[in-house]
Amino acid sequence: MHKGSLIILLLLPGLMGCNALKTTYHATGRNLDAFFSSPEKVAKKIKNPIREDARLGVLWIGHATCLIQIDDKFILTDPNLKQTVGQFSKRLTEPGLDPQNIPDLDIVLISHMHIDHLSLGSLDLIESKIAHLLVPQQGLVYIPNYGFAMSELATWRHWEEDGLKVTAVPAIHNGWRYGLDDAWMKLSYTGYIIQYNGITVYFAGDTAYRRDVFSQIKQKFSRIDLALVPIAPINPREYSQARHTDPAEAVQIYNDLNSRYLIPIHYGTFSESLDQPGEAVQTMRQVMDVNNLDSSQVHILGIGEQKIFISGDKRWAKSREVN
Amino acid sequence: MKIYCVHLIVLFLISNSGAQTINATNNDSTVTEPGIYPNIYWGMIQLIPSPQWHAVKSGGLKFSMRWQVTPILYSFGLNRRVNSWRFLIAEPLARYNGSVEFYAAPEYVTFDSENGKHWLLRTGLRTYFPLYEYGEYLAASLGTSYYQFNGTDGISYEAGIYFFFGILGLQTTYNPAFEQANWTFTINIRYF
Repeated sequence: MHKGSLIILLLLPGLMGCNALKTTYHATGRNLDAFFSSPEKVAKKIKNPIREDARLGVLWIGHATCLIQIDDKFILTDPNLKQTVGQFSKRLTEPGLDPQNIPDLDIVLISHMHIDHLSLGSLDLIESKIAHLLVPQQGLVYIPNYGFAMSELATWRHWEEDGLKVTAVPAIHNGWRYGLDDAWMKLSYTGYIIQYNGITVYFAGDTAYRRDVFSQIKQKFSRIDLALVPIAPINPREYSQARHTDPAEAVQIYNDLNSRYLIPIHYGTFSESLDQPGEAVQTMRQVMDVNNLDSSQVHILGIGEQKIFISGDKRWAKSREVN
Repeated sequence: MKIYCVHLIVLFLISNSGAQTINATNNDSTVTEPGIYPNIYWGMIQLIPSPQWHAVKSGGLKFSMRWQVTPILYSFGLNRRVNSWRFLIAEPLARYNGSVEFYAAPEYVTFDSENGKHWLLRTGLRTYFPLYEYGEYLAASLGTSYYQFNGTDGISYEAGIYFFFGILGLQTTYNPAFEQANWTFTINIRYF
C-alpha cells in the first residue's frame, strides 16, 4: 500500500460508521493507489472499429462507454475517455479505443449527470465527430456549448433521424452531478432504446432493478436484440441496491426484456465501491451458471474487445473513414 | 464610491467579452430548467466559514473568518439555451465555467480595534474563468470589492484559484487603503 493510502486510513477511522462513508473510505484508499500507478494497457487495441461485415457490433471502451454499430450507424454511450474521474479517481485500465480512432458518430447518449457518465472533457476530445447528443430531461443545464447539436429526451419520448430511432426509457437511479443538486435534478437520468433497420439495443445507463419498470419496457419493445446492463458496484449491497444492479439483477433484466444477448458493463474501469478487483465478473459467471446461461448469450467483454453479434452482407455501401 | 462603480463596470465588460467567443450549433428542441431553490442543507453548508489570514502592518498574521452569499450571478459558461442567471445558488459549472457574481461577505476579524468591533463588511464583483475541464477541475477569478470596517472604508482587489469543483480555493486580496493590513490570504471553502 502506498504511503498516501496509509495516511488516509489513519486519518479517517471515525468515518467507518456508515456504509456510504465506508465505501468512500475504501474507494479513496484504492484510488490513491491507482493515482500513483499507470492504468493497465489494453493489448491489441483496435485501430479501426468500423466493421463492414457487421449488422450489430459493440466495442466496450470501458465503464459505461460502448461503441455500438448497427449497420452504417455508430452510437456512443456515456463517453468517458479521460484518465481520471472527478479529478482524483484514476482509471484502472486505459480506454479500449483511442479517441482519434472513434468513427464519426450519429448519436451520443448520456444516461445521467454523474461524473463517470457525463465527462465534459471526453466530449471535447470527440467534439468534431459527434452529430447529435441526447441527454435526459434537465440534462442540458450541465452540457456547455459545443459544436454539435443536442437535445433533451423525456421518458418515453423519442428522437429520430434517417431511420435511427432513440427512445428514452425509465431507469431507477438519480440525476445529480455535485450532490446538493439532488434536490432539484429529479428528472435527469434515463435508459435508452436504440432502433435501426429492425435491430433493437437497450442501454441501461445506471439503474437499479424493479420488475414493473422492465415489464413496462418489454411491453413497448417486444423484441430486443442486445441489452447493455451494469453489473456493479455490488457492495455494499444495502446501499447500492437502490441505485445499481448487481449481476443477478442484470440477468433478471435480460430475462424480463427477453433480450437475445447481454453485455455486462460498468465494472473494472474505476474504483468506486467496496467490490474487490474482479469480483463483478466472478459473480457474473456464478450467476450465469445458476441460470444456465452460456457465452453465446452473455458476452463478458474485455476492455477494448469488439464483438459482432449479427453479421451482414455489407448491406451498407456508404463507407466511413476514421478521422 | 464613484471609483468603485467604475471598477465594477469595467470588470463586468471584461467578463462579458468572453461570451462572444462561444460557438455552438444547437437544434431547437425544448429545454427543462432545473428549478433550483435554496433548501436547509444549502443554508447549513453556507454557515461553514472560509479561514483567512491578514498580513498586519505591525507584523505577523491575524486569523479571521469569512462567509459569503451571492445574491446574483450571470454565467456565460452554461448552455446558451439554459437561463444564465442564478440567484443565491450557483452550480459549480455555472460559476466556474465562466461567470460574474455580485457577492456580499461578512468577515470576523481579530484585529484590535478602538471600539472593539470585529466585523468587516465587504461587497464586490468577481468574475471566474475556467482553466481546465470547464472550470470543474481548475478555475481562476479576478475581482474587486468595497469594504467597511470600524468607520473606515476602501476598495480591494483580489485574485483566486479554485480546484475540485470549486469546493476548495485560494484567494489573495490586496487592500491598498486598509490601515491594519494590506494583504489577506483566504482558503476558500464553497459548495454551491
